[in-house]
Amino acid sequence: MSRSPRFIGKRFQRSIRFAASLLLLAPILMVADQTGVADATVDEPIQARSDCTLNPIAGGSERLIWRDISERAELVSPSRIVENATATGRRRAVSPPAPGAPSAIPLRNFVDVEIFGKMTRDGIKPTVLSSDEEFLRRVTMDLTGEIPTVATVKTFTADTRADKRDKMIDQLLASEAFVDRWTMWFGDLVQNVQVSTNSREYYQGRNAYYTWIRDSIRSGKAYDQMVREVLAGKGDNFINGTSNYWVRQIQPNGPIQDTWDNLSAHSLEKFMALPATCVSCHGGARHLEVINSYMAGKTRDEFWSNAAFFAKTAAVVIRDPALPNVRKYDITDNPAGLYRLNTTSGNKTPRAPTAGQPNFSSPAFFLTGETPRAGEPLRDAYGRMLTAHPQFARATVNYLWKELFTLGIIEPVDSIDLLRLTASTLPGGTTIQPSHPLLLEMLADSFRTGSYSLRTILKTMTTSSAYQLSSRYAPGPWSEAWTPYFARHYVRRLPAEALLDAIFRATNVSAPLPVQGLPAVQKAMLLPDTLELGARAGYGLFLNNFGRGDRDDSPRSNDGSILQALSLMNDPLITTRVRNAQAGSSVQTILRTTTVPGDIVDSLYLSTLSRRPTPAERQAGITYLSGGNLTTKTEDLQFVLLNKLEFLFN
Amino acid sequence: MTRKDKCSECTTGGGFPVVGDGFSRRRFLRVAGTGLVASYFAEIISPTLLQSATVSAPLLKNTAKNCILVFLPGAPSHVDMWDLKEGAWTPSALAPTSYAGNIRFPQGLLPKTAGHLGKLTLVRSGLAWAAVHQLAQTWTQISRNPTGALGNISPHIGAVVALESQASRAVSDVLPAFVALNSANIPKSGYLPAQYAPFGVQPSVNGLTTLTHPDGTARFNERWGTIQQMDADRVTGQLGKTSLDVDSFYDQAKTLMDAPDVNRLFAYTPEEHARYGNTAFGDSMVVARNLVGARRGTRFVQVSMGGWDHHDNIYGAEGNSLFSQCASFDPAFSSLLTDLAAAPGSVQGKTLLDETLVVVVGEFGRTVGPLNGQGGRDHFLRMSIVFAGGGTRGGRAIGETDALGDKVKEYGWSANRDVRPEDVTCTIYSALGIDYTTIRRDDPLGRGFEYVPFAKDGVYKPIDELF
Repeated sequence: MSRSPRFIGKRFQRSIRFAASLLLLAPILMVADQTGVADATVDEPIQARSDCTLNPIAGGSERLIWRDISERAELVSPSRIVENATATGRRRAVSPPAPGAPSAIPLRNFVDVEIFGKMTRDGIKPTVLSSDEEFLRRVTMDLTGEIPTVATVKTFTADTRADKRDKMIDQLLASEAFVDRWTMWFGDLVQNVQVSTNSREYYQGRNAYYTWIRDSIRSGKAYDQMVREVLAGKGDNFINGTSNYWVRQIQPNGPIQDTWDNLSAHSLEKFMALPATCVSCHGGARHLEVINSYMAGKTRDEFWSNAAFFAKTAAVVIRDPALPNVRKYDITDNPAGLYRLNTTSGNKTPRAPTAGQPNFSSPAFFLTGETPRAGEPLRDAYGRMLTAHPQFARATVNYLWKELFTLGIIEPVDSIDLLRLTASTLPGGTTIQPSHPLLLEMLADSFRTGSYSLRTILKTMTTSSAYQLSSRYAPGPWSEAWTPYFARHYVRRLPAEALLDAIFRATNVSAPLPVQGLPAVQKAMLLPDTLELGARAGYGLFLNNFGRGDRDDSPRSNDGSILQALSLMNDPLITTRVRNAQAGSSVQTILRTTTVPGDIVDSLYLSTLSRRPTPAERQAGITYLSGGNLTTKTEDLQFVLLNKLEFLFN
Repeated sequence: MTRKDKCSECTTGGGFPVVGDGFSRRRFLRVAGTGLVASYFAEIISPTLLQSATVSAPLLKNTAKNCILVFLPGAPSHVDMWDLKEGAWTPSALAPTSYAGNIRFPQGLLPKTAGHLGKLTLVRSGLAWAAVHQLAQTWTQISRNPTGALGNISPHIGAVVALESQASRAVSDVLPAFVALNSANIPKSGYLPAQYAPFGVQPSVNGLTTLTHPDGTARFNERWGTIQQMDADRVTGQLGKTSLDVDSFYDQAKTLMDAPDVNRLFAYTPEEHARYGNTAFGDSMVVARNLVGARRGTRFVQVSMGGWDHHDNIYGAEGNSLFSQCASFDPAFSSLLTDLAAAPGSVQGKTLLDETLVVVVGEFGRTVGPLNGQGGRDHFLRMSIVFAGGGTRGGRAIGETDALGDKVKEYGWSANRDVRPEDVTCTIYSALGIDYTTIRRDDPLGRGFEYVPFAKDGVYKPIDELF
């Protein structure tokens, strides 16, 4: 079943209208050339009409450094290096993307217009669209953290509707598993965990937080509202999940300002992708020029003013006689509180006012200097300003893009440089950070106008042809230099919990996973944090070996390792599950249904790799199964498929 | 451009002399190549240094076969341990005692280690680049500024050692060259191939349980063969570099499985567990000893012990304090030294300690003098580094700080300046016979990967006085 090649439907018409509206707003609207060559183009992106102020670097002595730095050919950050590496080396005339460029790949929305438009301009060939099976496994994994069931694979591949992919996306977005997977994502982002280096939520706080996150995701609560609620969380943190945002950032071994600084830095870093921790100790000047041009222009005063939004809130310990060894907090907003500049010890360099300045900092938003309205509770004000700022939507859609496309439009995703988004603000000698600056702005805009609905923006991304490209590059040999073009799907290893759940599903043998304070769960993706099940043995050790991290100093990682290989080959959790003797296992079920080698191969491929074998694979499988005891060989075959790269990667 | 006051708690601060001071743009560009930010090298890179035209050949001591890096993240207090400074704040339990080589040492804090002072060289003129945990920890382990141009792709020092030892690996060298014990979240192989990544293990009394296949060797070999036959993706590279890495990890895993007795190396007996202090750190030191002693391919072992960030309660009798930390550190470190010294080396007349350079280092030091308001010490750039074995002489201190442990009175070595993490790296490479001035031309950024930035210009070098 194939889709009609030149499908130009409503979505594409909408994107044309959208692009036209941009043309009305900006006299010259062109996509910034990403070749790194200094073409004389003017880039007037969407944000020209926003109220975002991108503060230029202050004048004076810093300018002197800048002029020198700008002439240093070597002063580039890794992301800039990648862009330089993609330079075609030739000057290109920049022209607007040709709408409906002739191609077998339909342009389904503005994502496709931008992605394929850039490829067309720069002469990069995209690969082909993924097959139904590849698409189904990928979108199921990306949206729900699961591999599809055998029944779903069969139904989907047999489905003849032209819009079946869109319908599948809708189905997945509405599923309970969607909630599981994106609760894990948000939990990673806010680092919801029962114990961390600096603080303890305890499992009670962790569970309250987890439950609130789940309910918010399930109900489709607007993402900006979620973040505002988290920033302003009040009450007993064992009861009110959002209070744990504060508890998680409590800093011992220092004055209260250290905690306020943590909250300020964390919120800017996680929700705005601005690396702010550095300026909590010192100004950005002469420190951050190589890291982040925008942050290099920020001062410690500005950081303190941002942290001052937390100065009227207190975390009061609640002692519960029924829980003597546990410390929980009542987070309350008070009428009084000041961010005093009078500390000499603790976790930050001493805080003192500059001469002539008051010995406290008043709340002012880090990016704009905006102050709270009269009578507005400070944390509510902060949440309002933060979520209304365009950077909030921008950072978020970039995170989500990376979840789906493996690579962010800006990398690294937690360090966006506000001065490197458009050509008009670029410091000399630097290059634009996003691979597709206009697309990034359009996604952010779409997220905002879509009421910050996670499901809506994820649908926009997954319904695009760009998302649905094959992971194999059909036109010929691949070049790493083409990485920023998204000319193919980039594979990455399954996250730890998804991998364990995939093993459970492929073998049809799960296990109850105990959770402190909540009923046991049957899926690792339902674990409320990344510390459950321990670290020393069994499922907990497996998940740790596959990089689930600790939501503290060790972030989640997709790196490979020898231990992972040993696990996949020798861990009893895998070897027992492929056995015929294992009650209810896929192998047992298949062998009870048939002993025809060809059918066994089909079933194993469907269960494990979520697809049918190719004719060559089928034949190889038949030959293999016929080479010994059928039961033994069937077990071995599933074992081999579970160790296949295709299973481990998405 | 005005010079600001030095901010001693964070970076060296100061204004950068963009003009004047004999600093030409050309030199600026060369120095800037590694991405060092201006303030970081304002104090250290004097123009005269860069002007030196005569750079001697690299000094390769080649006295050691192995290196054990004992890494102490959190940053232990140098003035309470390796560079003891006494004052009204000193608790009697520290028991400052005088030892040969003009060394004052906290016998009460590190009683067993005190017995090994004859093996140790205490380098007291160390200076970190930044008093920020993550930044300085990574800096120490990759030997350059993590935020610089090559920061993202730079391998761990251990991965470089693994790469350099690859040519001399025998068939019997089945162990990974670089092993990391009790070390979560450390830099890995960077842009180097995955086979040089640290093999990260948490020792257990049963060793590595996943080294044997539950269904038997014959069945495993059959399955292994089939995986190779049926999974072309792991060799074609069609799915990208990470897919080829998977193949590498599987191969290394199989090599480990095929070697007899490997599991024993990753295990420890109850006696060893007790003698090394009854901790996970102690267990890891046992395994470190086993790995270098086995002479089956492991050349660099990192063992980490955290918990040193004593902003409060540093002298506490309860809770996490220097006393509780050293109660774990002391038996493990001293037992390691004892056992290495008692084991024969690969060469007649040498011990295993003679052939193993042991380095003990944190990411920076702690504030000096009286304690802070919470009974602790905060971050401080001045620090100490401890060396043992690997051809070092031992029994003395190199460098001398002032009465507080802040400024340096004598640097103690020929470079006559603060010892930086880069110098420590040069020392490790030199001891292992690795040319620390090497610049590789195979990095993906095409900028050249220096084993130690500027070592070729003679800016950083090994601490020859150790040997």
